[in-house]
Amino acid sequence: MQNEESNKSGLKRILVADDVEAVTTLLVTALEIAGYEVVVAENGQKAYELGTTGEFDLAVIDQLMPGLLGTEILQRWQGEGIDMPVIMLSGVEDDDVVVGSLDSGAIDYVHKPFRLPELMARIRKNLS
Amino acid sequence: MAAGTVMFAVSVLLLFAVVVFKWANGRRLAARQKRRVTYLKLLSQHVAAPGSTAEISIKEADDDAFIDALIDIRHALSSSSIDSLDGVIDRSGLIRHQAKRLRSRFPLGRRLRAVVSLAEIGDPGAARILMHHLKDRVPEIRVQSARGLARMRHTAAIDVILDRFHDETRWVQTRFAETLALFGRDAVWPLIAWIRVNHNYQGDGGVTEIIRILGIIGDSEVGPALAELLYTAEDPEVRIAIIETLGIIGGPLALRPLRRMIQSADWRIRAKAATAFSKIGDPSINPILREGLGDQSWWMRRNSAAALASLPGGIDLLYEAIGAPDQFTRDAAAEALADCGELIAARDRLESGKSDPRDAQLISYMHIPDPVTS
Repeated sequence: MQNEESNKSGLKRILVADDVEAVTTLLVTALEIAGYEVVVAENGQKAYELGTTGEFDLAVIDQLMPGLLGTEILQRWQGEGIDMPVIMLSGVEDDDVVVGSLDSGAIDYVHKPFRLPELMARIRKNLS
Repeated sequence: MAAGTVMFAVSVLLLFAVVVFKWANGRRLAARQKRRVTYLKLLSQHVAAPGSTAEISIKEADDDAFIDALIDIRHALSSSSIDSLDGVIDRSGLIRHQAKRLRSRFPLGRRLRAVVSLAEIGDPGAARILMHHLKDRVPEIRVQSARGLARMRHTAAIDVILDRFHDETRWVQTRFAETLALFGRDAVWPLIAWIRVNHNYQGDGGVTEIIRILGIIGDSEVGPALAELLYTAEDPEVRIAIIETLGIIGGPLALRPLRRMIQSADWRIRAKAATAFSKIGDPSINPILREGLGDQSWWMRRNSAAALASLPGGIDLLYEAIGAPDQFTRDAAAEALADCGELIAARDRLESGKSDPRDAQLISYMHIPDPVTS
């Protein structure tokens, strides 16, 4: 779904959802330097609500957050017909979690701790 | 009356002091949190745009909020992404500052915070100071120094930690052992060498802790070297630790020494060997485990039955054992079949009319009424 606002301003809008402040601050800084607009959600419920507005070109979501899990958010969005590329972040190295995330609709999966240049490259690729 | 008044006045003063203290502390924490957020943004700029000119001065090195932010950023990034933080750490003189705090004699709280900061940051520049404090007079500082050195994979610390093992309390030995696991495969052969020298050490030398760390590290190459020690170890606790570890890393090469252990006069060693067999997963051991069902020790019977339940072909042997003349054997086999879900499966098969004779035999042995005929 193309974001009309980003078309107007030329900037892509990205939703970053993570309950760890260091991760959100790092991603916000890196994405803003790279020329994106960023909105942050500190918990699952807020991430889900922001996603339903349809204002974002991509979302980077942590799997484990207070409120809703990342996979639950994806399932709800899919159920409501929200078609937005989502990159899942998770600190859990478990095949079931990876497969569950991709099956729920995530287009990519990144383990935490992550390499920032790699994550940025994946974001660029999935936005292009 | 006067005493009562004085007591009342003192209580009011104390209450007032507590309220003021809580208010002041709350403000201090809020200010620290605010500074931490500012530092997170500053450090993020340095990571996202290496070569950033955002200034970090030497006074930040003294601020605990800066250290908290630095540690949080380091935890968020993998090791290959934190090179840009090394420059920040150098420019702020943080290592030097924390080392100075660590070297001071008092207060202990500040020293502990300094060593934890150095351990969490994991910068190789702190290796020298942490090596020195492996011999600190305070046990927690020794433990945190070891942890920091393990996080930065400073392998020179392995031998120093091992040398100190016998002189430490049980608590410190346990923490040191956990730290050695963080070194991963780099620690394996130093640990084997140490175990070879110390496996018959008299007294509480922490040998069993070190042996179990090999299981946590999980390098199967040391299986044969560890298995040799089964023939020379005298202490049953050491043998048990070796057997448990061989179950994890031993592989097929461990089968021969473990076969000897299953003949041991000590029931604990026999029982542990049975469990180790199930972890190795080689069905060639099934006949020996079948014999173990008739062992005089309940633990040996139980572990043998549990091992058979997990090995290929073992379930068939357990069903056969339900018809054994010896009641202990029958009980061990039936309980293991029940524990692994065979009893429920047998009832289901019976109810659906797809059972075979062994299902009825198991159910009747466990004294559950036949659901079809009842």
